[in-house]
This record gives sequence, C-alpha cells and structure tokens, in this order.
Amino acid sequence: MGKTEYKKLKGSQNLRQRLLLSTLSSTPVLIDDIRHEDTWPGLRPHEISLLRLLEKITDDCLVEINETGTKLKYKPGVIVGGRNLVHDCGLSRSIGYFLEPLLVLGVFGKKPLSIRLKGITNDSKDPSVDTFKRTTLPLLKRFGVPSEGLDLKIESRGSPPQGGGEVHLGIPIVLNSLSAVTWIDEGMVKRIRGTAFSTKVSYQFEKTMIHAARGIFNRLLPDVHIFQDHRSGQEAGKSPGYGISLVAETTTGCFISTDTAVCYARGEDTDDYDDDERKELMPPADVGEQAASMLLGEIEQGGVVDSMHQGILFILCALCPQDVSKVRVGKLSPYAIETLRHIRDFLDVKFVITPDSSTETVILKCVGCGLKNLSRKIS
Amino acid sequence: MMSRQKTNLMQIVYGKPGSKASTLIKEAQGSSEDEESDDDDFFKPKGEINKKVSEGTDSQNFDGEDCSKFTNHVTLKNWNDEELIASVRDRFVTGDWAKAARRGQ
Repeated sequence: MGKTEYKKLKGSQNLRQRLLLSTLSSTPVLIDDIRHEDTWPGLRPHEISLLRLLEKITDDCLVEINETGTKLKYKPGVIVGGRNLVHDCGLSRSIGYFLEPLLVLGVFGKKPLSIRLKGITNDSKDPSVDTFKRTTLPLLKRFGVPSEGLDLKIESRGSPPQGGGEVHLGIPIVLNSLSAVTWIDEGMVKRIRGTAFSTKVSYQFEKTMIHAARGIFNRLLPDVHIFQDHRSGQEAGKSPGYGISLVAETTTGCFISTDTAVCYARGEDTDDYDDDERKELMPPADVGEQAASMLLGEIEQGGVVDSMHQGILFILCALCPQDVSKVRVGKLSPYAIETLRHIRDFLDVKFVITPDSSTETVILKCVGCGLKNLSRKIS
Repeated sequence: MMSRQKTNLMQIVYGKPGSKASTLIKEAQGSSEDEESDDDDFFKPKGEINKKVSEGTDSQNFDGEDCSKFTNHVTLKNWNDEELIASVRDRFVTGDWAKAARRGQ
C-alpha cells in the first residue's frame, strides 16, 4: 500500500462535520493551525472526547495530535458500532454535540450501536436530548433508517456546569443505503408537544415555563401539550437548571423544534460568546415565552426542518443513493452553509439551491453520492 | 430575477465558479441587498459580523465555533403582538387552508 494521502485543512471550525465526512468517505484528514493564535491553543476537551468516541466505535482508526494540540492527523477506520459501549462526554459541551455526528455514523456501522453517554443533557448551546428524541430520530426514519432499535432514553438529566446526566442511545444500521427523499411540503402545524424539565430546583419552575409558553400558543392552536419532567435525587444530576424543549408537528409529518435551558455558567469558560449565560438566571416565565417565540419564528420560516437540523438534513441527502433528493428549508443558517461546503469537499456532492421567493424559502436539490454501508459488507 | 437569485445563492454557498473560496460572508451581505429587505440579515451569523470587522478582508473564521443551533435572541420578535400572530395563523391547521394551499404557487 502506498503512502496515505491526507486532505489538508486548517482551523478548528466545523471539526465535527470534518471528522464525520472524513469517516464516511474514508478520507484521512490533516488539520493544522487549530487555535494556534489563541491564549489556550489547540484542541478543546470536547474535541478530544469526540476523537476518543470515534476510536471507540470504529476499528483501526488512527488519531495523532501534536504536543500543543494545534495539529491533528486523523485516519478514519471502519465503523463497527457495538453493544454496551459507554462514553463520558465531559463537561465542556453537552451530549447533543456528540449525538449529531454519532447518529449518522451509527447508521453506517457494521453492527447496531448501543451506547451510554454521560454528561450534560440540556444546555443553551447544543440541541437538547429531548430535541434529538422528538425531532432528529424521526428525521432519520424519513431517510429509511429502520425504526426498530432507534431509541434515545434519558436516564438522568444533567445541567451545566457539573452535568451528571446520562442517556442511552440505540441506532440500528441501514442494510444497504439510505433512501432519497422529496420533501418540500412543510404542511400545517397540527399540534405542539414539549417537555419542561428542571434539575435540583422546585417543580414550580416547570409549571411556570409551561404556563408562559402556552400563553403564546393558545391564540393559535388548542392542541398543545407540554410534559413536566421533574427529576430529583440521582436523576437530577449535579447542578441546578431548568429549560424547555418544544416541537411543532405538521400535517405532513415534519417536526420543527426549539429548545432552551438555563443554568449557572461554567466557571472557567469566560469566552466572549458566553456572556449571556453569566448574567442572572432568566426567570422561568421568560424562558417559556422565549422558547415559544423561537418556535413560532422557526414555523414562520416555512422549511420542512428547523434551522438547527438543516445541516444534518443536507448530510443525509448527500449520503443517499444516486437519486435526486429535494428539500425545502427556511433561511440557510451559517452552519448549514458550512455543511454544504464540506459536503462538496468530501463527498463531491453539490446542491442546486433555488430560492422560492413567493414563500421566502429555499429549495435544495442534489444527487446523492451513493454511500453504501460498506462496513456491513466486509463482515 | 429568479435566475439571478439562483446564481447568487449558489455563489454565496459555493463561491464563484473557479474559485475554491469559502470566504463569502462579505458577498453574502452584498448580494442580499438585491433581495427583499426582510432578507437583510440572511447570512450574518451572530458574532461573525464583529469578527469580520476586526479581521478586515480576511473574513474566513478558521476557529469559528462548531455549533448547529442558530439562535439570535436579539432579533427575537414579540409574539404577543396580534399582527405577528395573524401573519403565521395560516401556518396552523386552525388557519385558512385554502390560503395555505395557495402558498408557493
């Protein structure tokens, strides 16, 4: 075998997408200049943790990091999956950060994946575990992932900064490949569901959040049900916090979700993007109202998914067999645009992007790269 | 108009044909003026606007945060407003189905 060709990249941006697409397309990557001018240079704990997780679910993968952590060499292995795995996601990012790439990888494994993830279940930066359960898993099903064995169970909740949450994730494999979708009818919202949670604070917080959110929805829709998920003792993790996840379900089976969570800031995390977390905690009534407003904002956009699912939607479309997939989304989020660029670079799939000016939505079309579940074939 | 918008959006995402740049934040802002005023903040990620100013023409953010959630609390609308509520009413089953069906045609 000849010398391994590495795809050369720079910076810490979009590391998850890069590692995910690198693994799926079996393209080794060499990433340089990772925060090399930062006060703390190099990879962050959650990024290291993600690499460890990749090592866990793949076979024969190679990770090399230089001393300062500013240079990463990653040669992907074969995705094997496996049962009864455990991974500690650490406390610098929540479990949602890890779930996003993990869900897609798991589907292309040799064996179904069953893994226990420990850490933070709800925070304001990443999608909450509730959102994954109610919105992301149905999204996978739409692309032909079998529903049997596809499950996310929230064993205990953990709020930042101390975490202490735990979820159990089961992902079945696709036997051959995903199936392409034509998904441009966003439908009309027929019901709104949600979960309000609190850890180590009074259950009154949930009631207040639910009441505030309902106050906004009630003028639009009677079918609103937000569940209370009050955890105490071991199941409440180690830190106080509260928040709410909301999902709007449409007549055509689209799920539009938003979530938000409030907690005390992580001590050492003083980067500028965190300044809104370090203030006084937002009162629960405002949290409920804010989440409801965010959901209406997403519904107003008129896509078949919400803004945080645009990225994963495009990745799934690009991984489909060589059929045309066609989807409608609202305004493209910056993250989704980066995803589109990475899909082009790694999978050589380019979308045709057409704005639909009458609805202010965007239609994207692509022919999938025809990724087969090769890991399975080898066995 | 449609075809120009189409190429614009393709260019914003993939760059001009031939150039492999993904450094198009600046262009995104320029081209969005052609579209409706509502789209003004189409491609301005939170935080990246400031970065662009500080980095001058080099708008690529090599160490941008890896985060799929796009929240912009600053522009969060006040949904207690009756007019706003009326604007999304037809997106719900309780709204006008005929009007909703015509949407996009």
